[in-house]
Amino acid sequence: MLDLANETAGYCTKILADLGARVIRVEKPQGDDARKRGPFIENSSGAKESLSFLNDNINKENITLNLFSEKGREIFRRLITKIDILVETFPPGLLVDLDLDCESLRSLNPGLIHASVTPFGDRGPRKHYKACDLVLSAYGGQMKVCGSPDGSPLKVHGNQSFYSGSLFAAIAVLLALRKRARTGMGDHLKISLQGSVTATLEHVVFRHFMEGSVPQRKGSLHWNDAFVVLPCKDGFVQASLFQKWETLIEWLEADKAAEDLADPRWLDAELRRQSIGHILDVLGRWTRKKSVQELFELGQLMRFPWAPVNAPERVLTCPQLGAREFFAWGLCAATGIPTKFPGIPFRVNGRTSRPPKAASSPGEDNERIYLQELGLSRYEFAQLQGHGVI
Amino acid sequence: MEGVRVLDFTRYIAGPYTTRLLADYGAEVIKIQTKRMAVGVESNEENIFFTWNRNKKSITLDLELPEARDLALKLVGLSDIVVENFSPRVMANWQMDYQRLLHVKKQIIMLSMSGMGQTGPWKDKIAFGPTIQALCGLTYMTSHKGEPPMGLGYSYADIVSGLYGALSILAALETRDKTGLGQHIDLSEYESACTMLGPTLMGAFAGSERVVPMGNRSSDVQAAPYGCYRCLGEDRWCVVAVYNEEEWRALLGVLGDPEWGSWKIFESLSAREKHLGTLDQLVGEWMSGQRAEDAADRLQEAGVHAGVVQNAADLAVDPQLEANGFFSSMEHPILGEVPCDTYPIKFNEYEPGSWKPSPKLGDANGYVFGELLGLPEETIDLYVQQGIIS
Repeated sequence: MLDLANETAGYCTKILADLGARVIRVEKPQGDDARKRGPFIENSSGAKESLSFLNDNINKENITLNLFSEKGREIFRRLITKIDILVETFPPGLLVDLDLDCESLRSLNPGLIHASVTPFGDRGPRKHYKACDLVLSAYGGQMKVCGSPDGSPLKVHGNQSFYSGSLFAAIAVLLALRKRARTGMGDHLKISLQGSVTATLEHVVFRHFMEGSVPQRKGSLHWNDAFVVLPCKDGFVQASLFQKWETLIEWLEADKAAEDLADPRWLDAELRRQSIGHILDVLGRWTRKKSVQELFELGQLMRFPWAPVNAPERVLTCPQLGAREFFAWGLCAATGIPTKFPGIPFRVNGRTSRPPKAASSPGEDNERIYLQELGLSRYEFAQLQGHGVI
Repeated sequence: MEGVRVLDFTRYIAGPYTTRLLADYGAEVIKIQTKRMAVGVESNEENIFFTWNRNKKSITLDLELPEARDLALKLVGLSDIVVENFSPRVMANWQMDYQRLLHVKKQIIMLSMSGMGQTGPWKDKIAFGPTIQALCGLTYMTSHKGEPPMGLGYSYADIVSGLYGALSILAALETRDKTGLGQHIDLSEYESACTMLGPTLMGAFAGSERVVPMGNRSSDVQAAPYGCYRCLGEDRWCVVAVYNEEEWRALLGVLGDPEWGSWKIFESLSAREKHLGTLDQLVGEWMSGQRAEDAADRLQEAGVHAGVVQNAADLAVDPQLEANGFFSSMEHPILGEVPCDTYPIKFNEYEPGSWKPSPKLGDANGYVFGELLGLPEETIDLYVQQGIIS
């Protein structure tokens, strides 16, 4: 695969590389702008490396190429004949302007699977709108249903549109591979990041279409009131409200904290829904006197789907993730600092994904790929470097 | 996915999402239900069931009975893929773990999805979407700085896990086509959710400062203004992100070149970040007199990242989603034709088939037990009477 994706879809080919695909990342000779995005890791001499870039691009080979030069485009066309899949995030129409549109590429390689990931798709009135995760989360419908009811909409942490979009793109690529195995032909796949947000809102879209509802934000209360975050003396616990109500009340009663909730009228789930404020008040008074760990352990023993609201550093030391070897060590090329990387979230036949190698610097594999695999001469190679093509 | 048969043991959201994707793209998905358990959200009459189980066939088998499990094993022999999302011990207790399935069909691909994965000290813990979101750090980080954790209010983790499930199966099919071998996939929803905040977790490990929630502030790239502003109307908001001086001047232009635009405290990105609170108030004052759509469109026209916080009603008529073919429709037994969301993926040369409604309980019993397994009608009737096919 050739990966020309920026930060909005770099993760797509990262998963595929973890699954065994050979991914060659193509950056402009000065290095990708995605390398300038935080958070960063920094060594004592001040060398910095982008963690989001590392997260998305470890396990890939790396060459540099300037597509805005004619010679660069020639080389690109030669590369296209040797690959199966191209993933890119160029604005709609740019590749057409560069004479590298999908039809012309597929005339060179009919089996090419070309995935174009864009913020809003390749057509429509907003196709050229500038997008970051904030804009995509807003247009996608995610911000509306998140946040406090008397506060502003809240964006989910992290670049979820990029990551969910990358998952859809990876799935699309694998579907296209299956189709190609049967027909011999590639295809042009178009993935929309806004659509990826809308497609991962769980209840929002179908409830609107089938019940006419327009879901609103409810703070930490789940859309169907079934889950909520409660304060503890040393943190916060994620609790459930509608499962095993009687067991929960028994527990509160043992702590003499049930107040009026022990009354049998509260067995009626609909009544509980209507008086959710009161329920949360009583439960909150109880949880404030307990530790998160106790509520988690005892709650789970009672088969409640409860969990601590973990800060990120707690996740790193989680015994379950440790036992699963979910994090692997890798080396950051620019800083020389080793750091932990999340792996892929599934094991095949009991084995975790292949461990990350060190992350590549721009053009690290230029010589091997251009000289050995593409067959450029040393002279040609030096010329192209001199002219800023490579 | 035509020609691929999936035996689907899943329930709730994450598992059915995976098998729904496979069904949407042409696989024959046989969903195993039982009358006893087809209640509440698992009832075929519920809208939630209708959504997550479109394009699937339903059979009934009471897997508590050994004869039912024998029939299920026979069906394994006729299937390509088995998907289950029970607690890890269940399939083993039923003698339907991967080793057993291998005896029936050497090339079987089995996907086991669970909250924590099949192994590890927490493997038997109970988890729903919010549980996972709390564990992986997403709830903690989706909050305003210094305020109690808010979280998402919906089960994003279930959909993410569902996407990874589909991805892992497609990858397994690739492997099977090359090697003739199946595999056992052990997918953890907890780990899936962790991958959605990979850089954050890496930052918690490698960074010098504690990772804290940023609310609607930019956490990866310097930006100011950056936030969500209230507009005219009932709960209408517009988001804005300004990353450089060119965009800043463009923003000021749209706002009518206000005098405060030339204040020294706003003269650079860093300066603006320091005085974000004041800047927010000033931008907010302008926004409060605008319709969100007008503000967003005018800002975008001027080259500024901006967007409307859309609700479900907005999404339903979003011209961008429409232009990119995001919606289709299905025939609901009571509501008639209802729109449904599909995928943010478009192929040039492939259109997924019709979107068929979810099945009625056991509607494929005749086809599966009679045609596929070749059982005579009297045998099927007997099994129904005995509660095996039930």
